[in-house]
Amino acid sequence: MKRVRIGSGSASWGDMMEPGIDLIEQGNIQYLGLDHLAELTLSILQRWKAKDPTKGYIPDIVPFMKGLLPPARKHGTKIICNSGGANPEAAGEVVAKIAKDLGLEGLKIGVVTGDDILPRLQEFRAQGLKFKNLDTGEEDIDRVQDRMVAANAYVGADSIIDALAAGADVVITGRASDNALYAGPLMHEFGWKFEDPYWDKVGAAVTIGHIIECGACVSGSMSSQWRSVEDVGNVRNPIAEVDETGAAIISKIDAPGGLMNAGTVKEHLVYEVHDPHNYLMPDGVADFASANLEDIGPSRVRVTGIIGKKRPDLLKVCMGYRDGFIGEGQVWFPGPDAFEKAQWAEKWIHRRLEIMNAQYDELRIDYMGVNTLHGSVPKFPPPYAKDMYECGLRFVVRTKTAEEADRLKRIPTWLWTHGPVGSASGQPFPVRPVVSLWPTLIPRELVPTTMYVKEVK
Amino acid sequence: MNTKVMLKDLAYARSGDKGDIINIGLMAFDKEKYEILRKKVTPEKIKAHYGPDVKGDVTIYEMPNLNSLEIVMRNALGGGATRTLALDQTGKAKGQALLYMEIDTD
Repeated sequence: MKRVRIGSGSASWGDMMEPGIDLIEQGNIQYLGLDHLAELTLSILQRWKAKDPTKGYIPDIVPFMKGLLPPARKHGTKIICNSGGANPEAAGEVVAKIAKDLGLEGLKIGVVTGDDILPRLQEFRAQGLKFKNLDTGEEDIDRVQDRMVAANAYVGADSIIDALAAGADVVITGRASDNALYAGPLMHEFGWKFEDPYWDKVGAAVTIGHIIECGACVSGSMSSQWRSVEDVGNVRNPIAEVDETGAAIISKIDAPGGLMNAGTVKEHLVYEVHDPHNYLMPDGVADFASANLEDIGPSRVRVTGIIGKKRPDLLKVCMGYRDGFIGEGQVWFPGPDAFEKAQWAEKWIHRRLEIMNAQYDELRIDYMGVNTLHGSVPKFPPPYAKDMYECGLRFVVRTKTAEEADRLKRIPTWLWTHGPVGSASGQPFPVRPVVSLWPTLIPRELVPTTMYVKEVK
Repeated sequence: MNTKVMLKDLAYARSGDKGDIINIGLMAFDKEKYEILRKKVTPEKIKAHYGPDVKGDVTIYEMPNLNSLEIVMRNALGGGATRTLALDQTGKAKGQALLYMEIDTD
């Protein structure tokens, strides 16, 4: 039976490169996927592209390709990544130059475009599309349209499949769904199509993509079983070995590090999913509630029983719009009486905000070590307040202007010298612009993708 | 006999975000504990546990094949990862807070 081995080399922009190199060199994989995009990464990348039309891709693509391309050539591994971000064409040029410098003549680079709908928003509005906000229910983008900085549809694997069929060794996309980076090669290899009777297979591809797309998060990172992780710090990324029935064995390279069992696979299968009976991806809809996970050996988990449905007619779109500024700072208090000192300082902060006639849309003050992470869930004041050796205050405001955010974020730093004895506030943080998310939908047929393949001469 | 237990004695949790939504996978240690979760962990109890931090509806999906519940909490992330003033911008810590919820096992 035909089998395809595919690995996951990155879960986000900033992730480590070494686990991906290990997968290519020791994992016997035919494909390596790299996810470099989060929901609003495109807003940052669009800003860079506006300043310099040769930028707007994920800069990590440079060290990654320098590190991954030589072993990938040696082992015949193809790389699929969404690191093109807001500018896949420019990323293609950069990767071609890197390949040339490395002496990798003949390398074929596939570039996928079509997900960026920002230039077409007016046209779509004229056609009557309102882009209702899926989070807030707001019916129309009118209110924020002039502040829009990014609008990208989560596109599927269609053009990734085309690029692989055209012989691409590396495929670079923009906002392809993380999932498509894995579903694409599987569909290409097995000849699965976006039509009956393939939907169960596509559902399996989507599920397998989901299981490995966050890299080591399925193989010991972010795990509730963190105590059982071997060789702590030596991160191992996952491999899916998929057969033509759509069944998969999830594993890692045969070396110490990480952790892989039915429990870690389950942890990731339930992660960031909404309705598990209808896991919606641009390429298909999967029902996880039919999945079967089975430990079949050390660090080997068999995944079977996925049911799939036809891909959705609507694609998700992430729009980002400018929405004010955030000013932030911290101040820390030592014992004796650390918590009581923090409470005194909170009072000081509120009085100062009054005196300064502070203008802000939202204010948050956290007691670090008490309620920074779990907010209103833990009891406050905590039963252990008197025993706290140290306590911090975190001060954050959202404002309409950068100037006001800058003025207010000084408040916690003043406590360095004006707070109770022993206060320390460290290095101040810079003011940051807020880009808010406007999640919405668009009919699939309005966002066709295309690809071209460029050969390194 | 009524016995109070914390969810951390019955299950693991992992959470993340999509927009202003936090979702939590709550994974029971075994079938018996899953049945307890299924009966006792309700949207109302979850909303009460998180208090003002979860402003929208809570939906729970059952996954008996994985002894797990998928919990979706809307308007729970201060407008989403880039807008929230919370340090935990993507809600990854929020699932652990659920493990402190107490239920009766009767």
